[in-house]
Amino acid sequence: MGSVVRSAVKAIKEKGFGSFLRELRDEGYLTALLDGNLMQTKIHNIGATLVGVDKFGNKYYEKLGDTQYGRHRWVEYAAKDRYNASQVPPEWHGWLHFITDHTGDELLLLKPTRYGLEHKENLSGEGDQYIYHSKGHSLNPGQRDWTRYQPWQPTKA
Amino acid sequence: MAHLMKNLKVPPNSTSREEARKRTFDFFRLACRSIPNIMEIYNLDDVVTPSQLRSTVASEIRKNAHVTNPKVIDMLLFKAMEELKNFVDHAKQRHHVIGQYVVGRKGLVQDLGPKDEGISNFLKNFYSSNYS
Amino acid sequence: MTVLQACEIAGVDIPRFCYHSRLSIAGNCRMCLVEVEKSPKPVASCAMPALPGMKIKTDTPLAKKAREGVMEFLLMNHPLDCPICDQGGECDLQDQSMAFGSDRGRFTETKRSVVDKNLGPLVKTVMTRCIQCTRCVRFATEIAGVQDLGMLGRGSGEEIGTYVERLMTSELSGNVIDICPVGALTSKPFAFKARNWELKGTESIDVTDAVGSNIRIDSRGPEVMRILPRLNEDINEEWISDKTRFFYDGLKRQRLNDPMIRGPDGRFKAVSWRDALAVVAEVIHQVKPSEIVGVAGKLSDAESMMALKDFLNKMGSNNVWCEGNGPSPNADIRSGYIMNTSISGLEKADVFLLVGTQPRVEAAMVNARIRKTVRAAQAKVGYVGPATDLNYDHEHLGTGPQTLKEIADGRHPFSSTLINAKNPCIIVGAGVFERNDKDAIFSVVETIAESAKAVRPDWNGLNVLLLNAAQAAALDLGLVPESGNSIESSKFIYLMGADDVNLEKIPEDAFVVYQGHHGDRGVYRANIILPSSAFSEKEGTYVNTEGCAQTTVPAVPTVGDARDDWKIIRALSEVAGACLPYDSLTAIRSRMRTVAPNLLNTDERQPAIFSYSLKPESRQEMSTVPFGTAVENFYMTDSITRASKVMAQCSASLSKK
Repeated sequence: MGSVVRSAVKAIKEKGFGSFLRELRDEGYLTALLDGNLMQTKIHNIGATLVGVDKFGNKYYEKLGDTQYGRHRWVEYAAKDRYNASQVPPEWHGWLHFITDHTGDELLLLKPTRYGLEHKENLSGEGDQYIYHSKGHSLNPGQRDWTRYQPWQPTKA
Repeated sequence: MAHLMKNLKVPPNSTSREEARKRTFDFFRLACRSIPNIMEIYNLDDVVTPSQLRSTVASEIRKNAHVTNPKVIDMLLFKAMEELKNFVDHAKQRHHVIGQYVVGRKGLVQDLGPKDEGISNFLKNFYSSNYS
Repeated sequence: MTVLQACEIAGVDIPRFCYHSRLSIAGNCRMCLVEVEKSPKPVASCAMPALPGMKIKTDTPLAKKAREGVMEFLLMNHPLDCPICDQGGECDLQDQSMAFGSDRGRFTETKRSVVDKNLGPLVKTVMTRCIQCTRCVRFATEIAGVQDLGMLGRGSGEEIGTYVERLMTSELSGNVIDICPVGALTSKPFAFKARNWELKGTESIDVTDAVGSNIRIDSRGPEVMRILPRLNEDINEEWISDKTRFFYDGLKRQRLNDPMIRGPDGRFKAVSWRDALAVVAEVIHQVKPSEIVGVAGKLSDAESMMALKDFLNKMGSNNVWCEGNGPSPNADIRSGYIMNTSISGLEKADVFLLVGTQPRVEAAMVNARIRKTVRAAQAKVGYVGPATDLNYDHEHLGTGPQTLKEIADGRHPFSSTLINAKNPCIIVGAGVFERNDKDAIFSVVETIAESAKAVRPDWNGLNVLLLNAAQAAALDLGLVPESGNSIESSKFIYLMGADDVNLEKIPEDAFVVYQGHHGDRGVYRANIILPSSAFSEKEGTYVNTEGCAQTTVPAVPTVGDARDDWKIIRALSEVAGACLPYDSLTAIRSRMRTVAPNLLNTDERQPAIFSYSLKPESRQEMSTVPFGTAVENFYMTDSITRASKVMAQCSASLSKK
């Protein structure tokens, strides 16, 4: 605990009080005062190794040794207010859930470039959820006048 | 079940034409009020406007303007109510609304103007579709 | 006759996989085992000759047990993937295992698996499903005439393959899909598209060449899903060419679906039928009758050609013809443009002389008949024309008309072969129609026929092999232009699906109406487009090259705002004020009866009555220009096949450069 205070004092000295406060807020320390989950994660983070940061900014920690087995890998989400498990991209999912010991950064190197969608978190309930509309459905504007044949298009003049 | 049937109340028949007339207007008002809701649940914004739908409802009512028997008017109103409820409850689908009340019963093309006079049945059929 | 055939005549159906009535007997599937009295073991009935006094038992416990055993062996290495197999529902193995197989298997080991072969863009292979019946191998060598397929390995390592990695280069390769009793060879364009029991079959006619193969159009809803052959012993037996089988995806691409007018800025704008017809009617009244020209396309049906001719005649023009028939076609003597021997009659011939025709690409089914005759009766084939690859032994006599002259004069060694022949058969290609010295060539050919006695009361061996489905009907109806070069001086051109006319010859200021179903070559020169229905969407009469009238049946609805061809012309005639006197298909057919009664006798070949001898003497000089190739690319000959993706793949990968 003493090391935490020491490093905080050091940060204030380096950056000044204003930017220290801003960083406190951005890193979610203020939110953590009300959010027990986040607070627990923050406390957990002390002394843990940062294994990697994914492209969304989620931080993956590991702490071996004095942690309970099975709870030695965890993630601190980039979003401090509305976070959920679907924000973890697939390449880190395996590491996080002990499916593999390869970190997400290692697995990303194996991903073929020609296919694979960008990871998107599950936005259900947020008003931006994905709903499938079949061809010709009135809510699928791209394919509203869809036909089984392809008409000839008078292209050039 | 039996006591339920006993408690179920069907509004009594209109006693006079005036009462039937009032009920008809009530129905029209009800229909007009549910049009915005229908527009929304069936996504009709790009095919029709509320005023068009209102005039369709009005013309559907005027179609029976010759009916004088209050009992018949009541029956027609009952049917109209049924139809309206089906639409409001989303018991119908989008193409039902479009097919029956937007495009109309004669199809999209309805320009049977004076220019079609004097042409043969073959040509009339030809203009309307390949199969007739 | 074999035991199996004898049983078939007696009305007993014996299960079989490898036996096929049109292929040689292999006897390797052993499914047709029957019990024969005084024989210690069950006998493979397809390979056993039937002898007098033989007692055959097909329903005894021994025969049943034998079948069940064979079935168990076949299913041992057959994958259990019927739910994802395209043959499912029309699979011989599936059906017969239900009827004759055991209700359980005793096989617990792992199944054999075989690497799939790449046979090109048409035939999909799942070789693990193969039961080694060798039907495809026999079909390829015997009927298609290519030595591409063969059997490799023995025992459980036995597999069908192409020896080295190569494609199957045959224009009949699609038929292996039909003869394969299991799902080892299936249609690649049809793969996973539909199940056969959801399809509606419509018995129709193929229009991609002049053979008029009988086909069944399988459709699901408004879509043609596949095309299969229909048995017709006189025309296509039970085969069809790859073009016929696989061009159907062209029916769904590049379709014209709205009437369109080219505006002053050169762009097409969709208009209503009423406006489009009004414009055409206005323009047609502004030109002189002699400047009106009508050209029927190669896919036109007889009804619409009749309507086109009647309409333009009413407008005062007599310049109507069908593309492919040349500038001055002979429509007077029917024997001068049809195949007098008839397609099935070719099997009786013993010497063939092919003049300027490559039947392999012009009419693949006729070529298959010739090949059948060459194989069965060792018929000799002489060929005059550019060097080509026919899939049977032939003698390349020469490339130009001089060779014909030598044969006619008896100076050529082949003329003695012809004269000694019992049933000589001369086939002239329709590519000759486009030549200026066409009459001279025909008179030389007639001299050859006379010296070889090819035309006798009991045998008519003088044939013309046409190229397009519309040609014969057009000539029957008398679609003959008044002058050969009317197109250069025309002001109003009505193209009824004609894409292969000389579009660059059309004058700049001419008004071109294109009536058709595909946005092909003709559209780009058109001023107005009238969308019509394709052959799969309308009822129409077609006459094939041997003079047999057949009708197509609508299998699917027309696309967009298209109309039937004859209806468009009938409507236009009314708008133009020269109303045609018929407004139904029956009425138009009774009009056809007065012009060409043979068009009404469908599914029946009408032989020509008068032979060439009535023809007036021709005074034309023969040129020395060698014969050309009439069909450059077998896979892309008309607007539908040119729109087809599968045909484009085929011509890219299979056509010989």
